[in-house]
Amino acid sequence: MDCRDVTTLAIDRLAGEAGETSRRELSAHLATCESCRAEMARLEDAWAALGTDPDAVLTADFRRRTLGLLEEETMRQRVREFRPRPRLTRLLLQAAALLAAACLGYVAARGLPSARPSAPASAAQTTPSAAALPDLGSNPRLSNVSYRTAGADGSIGIGFDVTTRHELAGRPSAPEVAKLLAYLVSRNAETAGEKSRAIELVSEHFGDSNAPASPEIVAALSSTLRRDANPGVRKKAADVLASFPITPEIRAVFLESLRADKNPAVRLVAVDALAASAKQSPDARTIESLRAKAVDPQENGFVRAKAASALKAISF
Amino acid sequence: MSTTDDLSLLERIRRGDTDGAAELFERYAPALLRFTDRMLNDRASAEEVTQEVFVKVISRAHQYDGRAGVSSWLFAIAANACRDRRRRDRRASVVPLEAVAEPRAKGEGIESVLVSAERRRAVRAALAGLSEEQREALVLARYHGMPYAEIAETLGISVGAVKTRIFRAVETLKAHFSEGERSWTAAT
Repeated sequence: MDCRDVTTLAIDRLAGEAGETSRRELSAHLATCESCRAEMARLEDAWAALGTDPDAVLTADFRRRTLGLLEEETMRQRVREFRPRPRLTRLLLQAAALLAAACLGYVAARGLPSARPSAPASAAQTTPSAAALPDLGSNPRLSNVSYRTAGADGSIGIGFDVTTRHELAGRPSAPEVAKLLAYLVSRNAETAGEKSRAIELVSEHFGDSNAPASPEIVAALSSTLRRDANPGVRKKAADVLASFPITPEIRAVFLESLRADKNPAVRLVAVDALAASAKQSPDARTIESLRAKAVDPQENGFVRAKAASALKAISF
Repeated sequence: MSTTDDLSLLERIRRGDTDGAAELFERYAPALLRFTDRMLNDRASAEEVTQEVFVKVISRAHQYDGRAGVSSWLFAIAANACRDRRRRDRRASVVPLEAVAEPRAKGEGIESVLVSAERRRAVRAALAGLSEEQREALVLARYHGMPYAEIAETLGISVGAVKTRIFRAVETLKAHFSEGERSWTAAT
């Protein structure tokens, strides 16, 4: 080896990467070359100087904060699978439905026989929104619930089996459709997915700048938020309720969720909704509940912090 | 800690086990915090980025394909997060090289503890003066004792590139410390 190799070999040695042969060659060279010994000394000094920088130490406070955050994140991951479809997917599905409807219209206009044989008794009964639903008062079990976007006018279709297949089409604000949605939201959807989809439809068509929700819808969402066993469904119901103008009934259900819901993500939505309503009209019970949460040592750190910052934003 | 243990921890995290995430944190957080602290030279940012790493692990546990070790995977996430942080957060301090080993005025009477603190500050300043790529490789080798091959796996580069980066980093530091020492001696 010659002097040009010394720096590389020396750094390898310092990093613990030099093999036995390299170390031996380096030592032999250093023994005979004074300038390389000086170079080696400078490299060793630089390497040693780096060691004077103390390691950052993990503090108890950082550990506590991070473990809380990780717990929260893990729970959020569990909830994520119930999130609504991405907007793009929804738009693509709507576009596909429109295209299919246009194609059907075209085929019809081209002169298919207008008189069709009557549907067999077992076929689906498509019920216009004005028509009567099956009697929901008898609490029938609706199975195989399916949803479709029926047209450009915003109407939707909901299919289900009772004793025969039914399909109800109409705008979600139409009384029969709203009633059926409320029924599906509050109970009787067989799976969390069916119920979630019903809540999504409610979310898309009511609240915010959309049509005001009927009392039946509010009652159904409130009941779901209070009683549904699935935290993802409860959170979805809470999100939708939070988008509605606050009413005493909605405030009451959020107060109850903030106090008793086991899922912190749901409690966070409750804090947001209550804080927003208290900003507009401060309410003693709301403020007291937020204050209790802000100082509750047993409460999740995020909920506590959110409640505290919500209180700060409220002018008393 | 064995690879099998790490893999079973990741599997638990995938299943939504909060204790799994806590165990992974206890196992790797000290090392990752040391790494992010030296990369960002700012304690608060280092803590935030370390938290971000573990949050990403929870959301991406299913993406881990086993090609790299779990440790390398975590450091790779941390290195990327540090790069992102530095890009978007101009507060991360980059100390100019002129600040390295700033000479003392004669008769200033700094106690030895302050001298040592000053030297530590000089080390941080020197590290901050390296390019990000050089610093990543050097910090992993010097402070984490990672073999070149593992550094290469972590940073997604060849072993040759790792050696080049460390070589250049050490050469730069050697020059800085030598210069600083001369200034220091001349001033005292």
